[in-house]
Amino acid sequence: MLFKELQSKDKLIIGDKSFTSRLFTGTGKFNDQRTMVAALKASRSELVTMALKRVDMQHQDDDILAPLIKNGMNLLPNTSGARNAKEAVFAAELAREALQTNWVKLEIHPDPKYLLPDPIETLKAAEVLANKGFIVLPYIHADPVLCKHLEAAGCAAVMPLGAPIGSNKGIKTAEFLEIIIEQANVPVIVDAGLGSPSHAALAMEMGADAVLVNTAIAVAGDPVAMSEAFAKAVEAGRQAYLSGLGGQSTQAIASSPLTAFLEASL
Amino acid sequence: MKIQVNEQALEVSDNTNIEQLLFQLDKPLIGSAVAINQEIISRSSWIDTVIHEGDKISLFQAIAGG
Repeated sequence: MLFKELQSKDKLIIGDKSFTSRLFTGTGKFNDQRTMVAALKASRSELVTMALKRVDMQHQDDDILAPLIKNGMNLLPNTSGARNAKEAVFAAELAREALQTNWVKLEIHPDPKYLLPDPIETLKAAEVLANKGFIVLPYIHADPVLCKHLEAAGCAAVMPLGAPIGSNKGIKTAEFLEIIIEQANVPVIVDAGLGSPSHAALAMEMGADAVLVNTAIAVAGDPVAMSEAFAKAVEAGRQAYLSGLGGQSTQAIASSPLTAFLEASL
Repeated sequence: MKIQVNEQALEVSDNTNIEQLLFQLDKPLIGSAVAINQEIISRSSWIDTVIHEGDKISLFQAIAGG
């Protein structure tokens, strides 16, 4: 089928929301609020992540929420900092009150060095939160079996990692992401480790439904321009996926006719 | 009366509700979440929830994150 026909029907639906952009962005690590807002706008992202913290009574935090709401962005609070299911459920319930949304990016990573998600605690928390009516998007390792369990638990999407959070290493889990994408009945959002637009494009070419990028944009020399580059890469990758990529071969397959006219002219 | 907010001692007037406490602390209403003695208080109950002597209040706020 032609891309144009597919594109007209190509909508990403997660829970109760429909998205035009398949690039989701994080709000962390930007140098200042103005750059963050400009970069998020340039990304055309419709879903942005936020964290929650215990208020420091001695220090007034910047109000980053107002500009995000003003620009019509949907907020996806995370449970970062939670070390087990119980803490994650508590964090999700706090986030629901703070941001008035039942969407949650469930992340439980007790190990501070690699920030790898705890699959057992994540599944436990996902079951509880889905039963409480949350739209649960769990951050997980690229584990196809776990993804099916999370789907059965009622998660609205799954968010397998490409590489450790903030590592910018790209897609180190490709073989397993392919299995996850092939088997999934919920959207697959590749999260974490995407360090350059080509990584994001690759995820989309593989058939991921969306990607989530934060560090690679926030720490770029020009975060606003990098944001645009990611937006283009995600669009290009999605277009390539819908257009049907050609197969690979170990041997050369000629693109020009192999006639013998050169020899004949000698 | 004396209460604790995020482990800090604080003096508030009798019959202070949660919304008044946030005003007193100059904290935004939007983006905040409150628990009293580890129990989350839903936003719709902030005006009706009166703080008592010795309550331990936990105050949370939305911040940037990935």
